[in-house]
Amino acid sequence: MDETALIQTAQNGDLDSFNTLILHYQDAVFHTALRILGDEDSAEDAAQEAFISAFRSISSFRGGSFKAWLMRTVTNACYDELRRQKRRPTTPLEPETSDGEEMDSPKWLADPNMTPSEKSEADELEHAIQHCLDALPTDFRTVVVLADIQGMDYSEVATAARVPLGTIKSRLARARLRLRECLRSFEELLPSSFRLERESNS
Amino acid sequence: MKNFKDIEQLSSYLDGQLDSAESKRLESRISSDPELAADLNDIRAARSILRKLPARKAPRNFTLTRKMVGLKPPLPQSYSFFRFSSAFATILLILTFAANSLALRLNSPVPAFSFGMGGGGAPAATEAPAATQAPAMEMPLAATQSSSASADTTVATEAPVAPQSSTLLKETPTESAPLDQARVKEEAVVPVTWQISLLFIILASAMIAFAINQNAKKKWS
Repeated sequence: MDETALIQTAQNGDLDSFNTLILHYQDAVFHTALRILGDEDSAEDAAQEAFISAFRSISSFRGGSFKAWLMRTVTNACYDELRRQKRRPTTPLEPETSDGEEMDSPKWLADPNMTPSEKSEADELEHAIQHCLDALPTDFRTVVVLADIQGMDYSEVATAARVPLGTIKSRLARARLRLRECLRSFEELLPSSFRLERESNS
Repeated sequence: MKNFKDIEQLSSYLDGQLDSAESKRLESRISSDPELAADLNDIRAARSILRKLPARKAPRNFTLTRKMVGLKPPLPQSYSFFRFSSAFATILLILTFAANSLALRLNSPVPAFSFGMGGGGAPAATEAPAATQAPAMEMPLAATQSSSASADTTVATEAPVAPQSSTLLKETPTESAPLDQARVKEEAVVPVTWQISLLFIILASAMIAFAINQNAKKKWS
């Protein structure tokens, strides 16, 4: 995929080129939105809004990291969604089993190649991490999601979050520290692989 | 727990954001300070947990449609032509009405003034004094006619004017309407047939432009 050529044609209004870019980035965009918002439906809405907004403003892209530029629209869409949720709070509907009980880990989220124990471990880890992410202030959460989950470098995170590099360093350090504190309370829930790694590191 | 500056440095160190001199200084501190080493491990652990988080795939494709982004279909040049002709003909039609109205006012100032005064007001205003004076003058006229033959001739001549003027007052409003309409037709700068033609052009152009637009939308979707 020649990203630069696709961006240029998209800037001339070619929707097909932009859709090719969407197909390339949609997993990263959705995952980022999901980790910031903590809810799949909201993340879908935010991702779709982000792509619409990105197409409309693609002429403002002046080079550099397209992923960072795209992540900026995603974080903006997530902030809009969070503001909307704050104005109109709703009670999320948890998926239920046939017995009418809430499902802790919806089965459609699981990787079909995982064994039941692996799936259970992954679910536990995911739930624990998401819980701790949700406990972070939004600005910290955004930075840590972009840097540690999306693996973006500091300058890309600074572009996406529209804050100076120094602020990124500070927020990232605080966020990691808070996450570590939060995850301590989930030590028993965390999978053995994590516990072993932590022990070996210490 | 170390102070926050140390924590920030440890976090940056893990991400390779410190220069070599800063890194070496920090490494020597870590090796001599178990608390700092523990903090480094804590931050590293938090970082590695996040990196272990399974990447979630998008539950559906987020590709955009033209409707979603409000893209309009490319329209042929003929669309612009018909739209322009419709707008231009509309302006012309308005101008014809304005021109006809102006010509009517300029060419016949009296009827134009009478329109402004509520129809036939102007002649009445000029002749009204005679009409109002006439009945008042009739009474002395009767008296003077019997007593003196050398009656005031000016009064005698004015007396018959009064009934004439009053009849004129009554007839003017009823006769002025058809007269004005005829005058409008005679004094119109742009004939009515032209105006009808312009109206036809407006409607036809607008309908053709609409059809072209709809056809383009059908092909686009």
